[in-house]
Amino acid sequence: MNRESAARRFAVAAAALSAAAAALVGLALLAGTSPLDAVRALAEGAAGSRAALGETLARATALVLTAVGASLAFRAGVLNIGLEGQFLAGAVAAAAVGPLLAGSPLAARAGLLAAAALAGALWVVPAAYLEARRGVPEVLSTILLNLVAAAAVSGLVRGALQDPGGDYPQSRALPDAVRLAPLAAGSRVTAAILIALALALFATLLLEWTPFGLKLRATGLAPAAARAIGLPHARLRFLAFAASGAFAGLAGGLEVLAVTGLLYDPFTAGAGYTGIAAALLGGSHPLAAALSAVLFAALGAGSSAMQRDTGVPGALATIVPGVLVLAVLAARARLARKAA
Amino acid sequence: MSGFLAITLLLAAPLLLAAAGELLLERAGSIQIGLEGTMLIGAFTAFAAARSGAGPHAALLAAAFAGLLAGAAFAAFAVAGRADPILVGTAWNLVAAGGTAFSYRLLAGATGSVLEVRTLPPLAFGLPAAALAAFFVPVAAEVFLARTRPGLALVAAGENPLALAATGGSVVAVRTAASVAAGALGALGGALLVLTVSPTFVEGVTAGRGFLALALVVFARWKPLRLVPGALLVAGATALQYRLQAGGSRIPYAVFLALPGLLALFALAAARGRGGAPKALGTPAP
Repeated sequence: MNRESAARRFAVAAAALSAAAAALVGLALLAGTSPLDAVRALAEGAAGSRAALGETLARATALVLTAVGASLAFRAGVLNIGLEGQFLAGAVAAAAVGPLLAGSPLAARAGLLAAAALAGALWVVPAAYLEARRGVPEVLSTILLNLVAAAAVSGLVRGALQDPGGDYPQSRALPDAVRLAPLAAGSRVTAAILIALALALFATLLLEWTPFGLKLRATGLAPAAARAIGLPHARLRFLAFAASGAFAGLAGGLEVLAVTGLLYDPFTAGAGYTGIAAALLGGSHPLAAALSAVLFAALGAGSSAMQRDTGVPGALATIVPGVLVLAVLAARARLARKAA
Repeated sequence: MSGFLAITLLLAAPLLLAAAGELLLERAGSIQIGLEGTMLIGAFTAFAAARSGAGPHAALLAAAFAGLLAGAAFAAFAVAGRADPILVGTAWNLVAAGGTAFSYRLLAGATGSVLEVRTLPPLAFGLPAAALAAFFVPVAAEVFLARTRPGLALVAAGENPLALAATGGSVVAVRTAASVAAGALGALGGALLVLTVSPTFVEGVTAGRGFLALALVVFARWKPLRLVPGALLVAGATALQYRLQAGGSRIPYAVFLALPGLLALFALAAARGRGGAPKALGTPAP
């Protein structure tokens, strides 16, 4: 998946771009809008102003982390489809411990994020256990854990985590001193995006340049060979799985810390699933996955503006990533068959 | 209590349809984890047809037709195209969730009002004919797989595709046919939700039922008749959730929301995972 010739990469990119362009134009026409107007509104909403750019980067934070998390798992051969649930576990942990943490804001933030990452990693444990001991494919168990996590959020914001001072199904808000302030006035982007990008870089270095990363990749690429040369197959898979969950949990924690300030229901707009799409578009290479995540965040920010200005439904931002991934999968499979 | 039983049966019917279709596809050697998306497509198609004047039975047919097309499209990528079915299914869910939300907004406009459709008339036990028929689909699937020539070809495509190819059969054709059938059944399951349980369309109306149906197939160990107890169990948990929610129970609401998913997880653990899985499940056609 990772070593493609330049010509092949070009062919795959061309297929993806033409599919995405066709989807954009087709959907705009369906909505009765000139595609040119729709694309202009989309671009302006994504990067046309300081506020627009800030919106894109604010949305990118969670997506970059889930995309990198998905890449780590996929490269080790773990099909973690449960990033959505791990994201929610992180958000729940952040909302639960956030209002309790005392001390300096910096220490409180660190505690909150550590709790979120830990919760995300713990949320993979049932799936990892069922896979290792009972042979349950992690694809299925992680999907089911997504449903359980969504149900838990729904119940918690009406129960244990509900703000005692309010009537709404939402948790207590984090103290203002703890919440991350916007980097620039009039924009929603915070330092969280820097944390996400730094972690994407860290994951890239770890996976591509360290002996440990080599072992993880070997386990994913050729499990039998990796086992034959004495690599601890099960342990490596679990580490990649847990790291992937920790990234998603951290994404949930940062969403609470930097964007929402509290937990409500339903909490996610598919950060886990879109993160998986970004990982697939980026060939499960953490850096390419992070770039794809920023692209999808721009699409999300732009499509909100597009819906407001031109009436083309903003759900376009969910369709286009799916179409892009389908095009990339089809193009890669076709090229692989030609080569064989 | 009879109300509880009727609701359990009503909720089990869409699960059974979707799971039976998925079971056929998996027995043929492919897998569609985007079943949730296919159910959404069926739910939306039925809603759109009913809103544009079709009767509930015609709406059901329209959904089945959309499901046939969806199954053919999935097969074009994951069967004939040989792309990894798990990854295609993940993207499939995005396209279906986004596509139905997009179309719903075009149809309903930006108004927040709930658009209702006519539901299927009840035939017996308060259930419409289509929901009752759903309980015969696993029986039909069992007979089809065990007793008919196309059924045997389907099983061969999932157990030993090379042997099927060697005897002149086409693995791609068999799996594509299974995918088309699975698409129709999944879409019918989604349509049944809109035409019985909740007579309107909202984004994500399927509420994870496609994912539960996927788990049911493993729980049933790929045997059609064993889908019935699993579906009744999961549907019963959902019915219990409705009942206790309305009754103001002291047991936390979240426990019942989470119950179907938790039950499916325990069921998977009890079924010991891959036992009984088709040998060529998820592998590309030769």
